[in-house]
Amino acid sequence: MPKVGSYRANSVIYFQGDVSDKVFILQSGKVSLNYADIETGKETREVIQTGEFFGVKSALGKYPREENALVLSDAQVLVFNVPEFEVFAQANTRIIMKMLKVFSNQLRRVHKQVENLLEKSEAQSPEYGLFKAGEYYLKSRQYSQGKYVFSRYLTYYPAGKLAEQASRYLEMAEAGSVKYGDGRGPAPLVAEASARTGRATAESAEELVASVPPAQRAPGDTLSGAAKDYYDAVSLFSSERYKEALAGFKRIVEANEDPEYTMKALYDMGRCLYMLQQYDLTIKHFTQLVQTYPKHPDLIDTLYWLGQSYERKGDAERAKGFYKKILSMENDEDASTRIKATRSLRQLEGGKHG
Amino acid sequence: MADLAAFTRFARTYQPGELIFAEYEPGDSFYLIQGGRVKISKIVGELEKTIDILQPPEIFGEMAILEGAPRSATAQAIDTVKVLEFNRANFEVLMMGNPQIALRLLKLFTKRIWDQKRRFMILTLDDPQARIADVFLMLYETNAAVSGGEQDGEKREFKVTMEDVSHWAGMSDTEVQTILNHFANQRRLEVYPDRIVVKNINDFIRFVNSRRKK
Repeated sequence: MPKVGSYRANSVIYFQGDVSDKVFILQSGKVSLNYADIETGKETREVIQTGEFFGVKSALGKYPREENALVLSDAQVLVFNVPEFEVFAQANTRIIMKMLKVFSNQLRRVHKQVENLLEKSEAQSPEYGLFKAGEYYLKSRQYSQGKYVFSRYLTYYPAGKLAEQASRYLEMAEAGSVKYGDGRGPAPLVAEASARTGRATAESAEELVASVPPAQRAPGDTLSGAAKDYYDAVSLFSSERYKEALAGFKRIVEANEDPEYTMKALYDMGRCLYMLQQYDLTIKHFTQLVQTYPKHPDLIDTLYWLGQSYERKGDAERAKGFYKKILSMENDEDASTRIKATRSLRQLEGGKHG
Repeated sequence: MADLAAFTRFARTYQPGELIFAEYEPGDSFYLIQGGRVKISKIVGELEKTIDILQPPEIFGEMAILEGAPRSATAQAIDTVKVLEFNRANFEVLMMGNPQIALRLLKLFTKRIWDQKRRFMILTLDDPQARIADVFLMLYETNAAVSGGEQDGEKREFKVTMEDVSHWAGMSDTEVQTILNHFANQRRLEVYPDRIVVKNINDFIRFVNSRRKK
């Protein structure tokens, strides 16, 4: 049961810094809370009205009193400990509601004050922060989380600075999710380097098969010899050292240690040739690949690169043939290539390109 | 547990691994966990740092009460998670019908207000060394010290990393590292990968007080 307390004028109910679990209601008399404003340092005085609670925050939050509670004229208060206060408040929800409103206003105010201070020292915009969060998920192959974040980004910032990149990453996350599943597949290249140098990635080889450079690879990776060689070559590819990457992939194909990596490397050799603008060689290489492995996991992408190579050579008809082939295939699982093929086809048919 | 049957229309289910919201996303709802665990985390550089794991009947996302403020952390379902989703529009209805929840939210707000005020106090210190010392005082005041007490004299150990300190101090990691090294050289603290030991907490109290403008 709450107790009644009587205080004489000029006495102190509690001091700043005291730790206590007492909550008070002023029944009669006059009490003021005195404290230094955190922003201005100015001594501030808040007079408590009859019927009003005080000492609630520090008691509930179990932290030191933030003000001196001074009695201005003889006062009578009702004193609760925290459990008594909780019982009382739960029977009087309106009181909690009123306090919630007061507290949420205080929270808003102090939050704003902190923000103002931080603006000077720490400037991560929410837009950039959200993008970086998506990038983290994509890099760590948490595709569905990446999908969520990039689609939220595009919802909030459809015309944002990073919107184009976000939609590309969204495609990558979607493709990765279906193609490999969460936590699997080669770590997607998040083309920070290429974004910085302003390379037009829309038409270049931003691909799921590219990987993070070796320095960023998690320590303790237990990769087979072929896998290690493969990712070394992939990082050469991502740093645009296509000739060296080509040599690396070629060695893997020739050694033929692990069929999985032989297949992958074979596909990547074609991409290197394309990046080196050897379109005839690209066509020859990929055509052979399609004939040898009609069920190659990267078949759709292979067809796309064939289309691109013909397009570069000015052979729009053949290019269109490959794009149409991609769209005619039942390949829901590779959304990003379908989108790219659709886009390329539309451009060719609109006659803007090639 | 409160009778929440009337609130099933606000019920949401998330699959394991699913994000409930992401850090920096503008937030307008907060959540009451009814089933399953929720991981609260932040991405720091290339790493994801788990801040907390919450379970029924905890509340999260309550900072959404600050209109339009971006989420300060990511909430992700660990198990199949059932929550009630609230926003400013249905908030009052829920609270009026569920005093226990209202009381919990009230307590959360007292904590948040104190956190923010304390952070403000840290940020107003001009001396960067004092700022960092004050971060430890703040942790000490919230009883975050994992060991230390009468038998250890004035030594206190905190389960924090350098990034946590940078966050609270509003300073860059490199700046914080330099100062922590300086303190370590003075033998005022010891830095480990997962914890920081303050050798004499009273020394830090005196130091911060001497730097705070009166």
